[in-house]
Amino acid sequence: MSVLKKLSQMFSGSTLQQKEAGDATAEVKVPSDSPNAFAEEPPVHRRVIQAPVIVAEAEANVPSDQILIKAEPSRDNEQCKFMVNRPLFEGHSWLFSNFEEAAGSPLAESVFSVDSVETLLIHDSTAVVTKTGAKGLSDWEKLAKEVGGVLRKTLEAGTDLVSKDIIAQIPSEQVVKEEIQKVIDTEVNPGVAGHGGKITLTAITGNTVTIEMGGGCQGCSAADLTLKQGIHSAFRKAVPYIGAIYDETDHAAGSNPYYR
Amino acid sequence: MPKLNKFNIEIETGKTGTDLPVHFTINNHKLPLEDIQGGVGPSETFCGGFEIRSFAHSLTLVGPESGRWDIQKMKVDYDCEHTPPYSVVFGAVTLDETTEVNIWQDPPLPTWDV
Repeated sequence: MSVLKKLSQMFSGSTLQQKEAGDATAEVKVPSDSPNAFAEEPPVHRRVIQAPVIVAEAEANVPSDQILIKAEPSRDNEQCKFMVNRPLFEGHSWLFSNFEEAAGSPLAESVFSVDSVETLLIHDSTAVVTKTGAKGLSDWEKLAKEVGGVLRKTLEAGTDLVSKDIIAQIPSEQVVKEEIQKVIDTEVNPGVAGHGGKITLTAITGNTVTIEMGGGCQGCSAADLTLKQGIHSAFRKAVPYIGAIYDETDHAAGSNPYYR
Repeated sequence: MPKLNKFNIEIETGKTGTDLPVHFTINNHKLPLEDIQGGVGPSETFCGGFEIRSFAHSLTLVGPESGRWDIQKMKVDYDCEHTPPYSVVFGAVTLDETTEVNIWQDPPLPTWDV
């Protein structure tokens, strides 16, 4: 019997071969409805739920006369979050994509004065910075100290932190909600539907958008790419006055996330 | 995701308990906890652990085969490779024969004052 034929039979699953001493290969047909001796009982599919994580209150949130700032680079070192113990843009968020957009907003102007700062996102009492060039933890240690310094200096100056023009162009939550829902219905969901995915708008707070990725998007390894290059771009192009966009999907939960 | 060498779990049961053994799943493989102490009856405290020495894509505590199990609090101690040991405290959750609860948390991010 040729090697190819043997391999074909090994993977066919329709026959079992019993080789007996001195005999030629005997092939035994297995009926398709016969129970497989090696098959285990089908596993019980349980739903994975989340218990609340009890965390100690962050020091940055403790009221203090001093301006306290903590730096926290993301796990992939793509960005660094600065947590401040006072509001930067209370109730709202704003993304400064480049230095030009920072004009008129003292907080953003000061952050962009630091070399290699690429973008700045402010939301309530946090600022998230991305940088150009190397993005190791040690690279953030140096930059974070500089950014922390200019944030503190601007806050101590006591001036308005965000341009009045920016504040004036942010509409009501209802308008933001309607505009984003329209983008989801007409652009985003038709796009991800081809992969069995679905995006749901879960909250609008001020001009901050929170979504959930469901169906084929939940647990998918490309979900982050879809979120940043597809959904973020579509939202910002159609609704330029939105600030932060959060994905609250638990990609590991549920009975059938993509990777399980 | 770091390699999980070992984890220990301390479970405080609330008003409704269950029976031993307590099972967990690592990457969907169901196993009983080892080095166990205490119980999972009402208001009892249970301790157990397991030497994983692998990457935890998912780590869950499995609910009872029948009935309910009210868990008041869980503290999980993680010993991961190249990462200082860390602990996470989870709050109240109720498990039954259809549920399991996630007990994996990535190591905390480095944070410092600036």
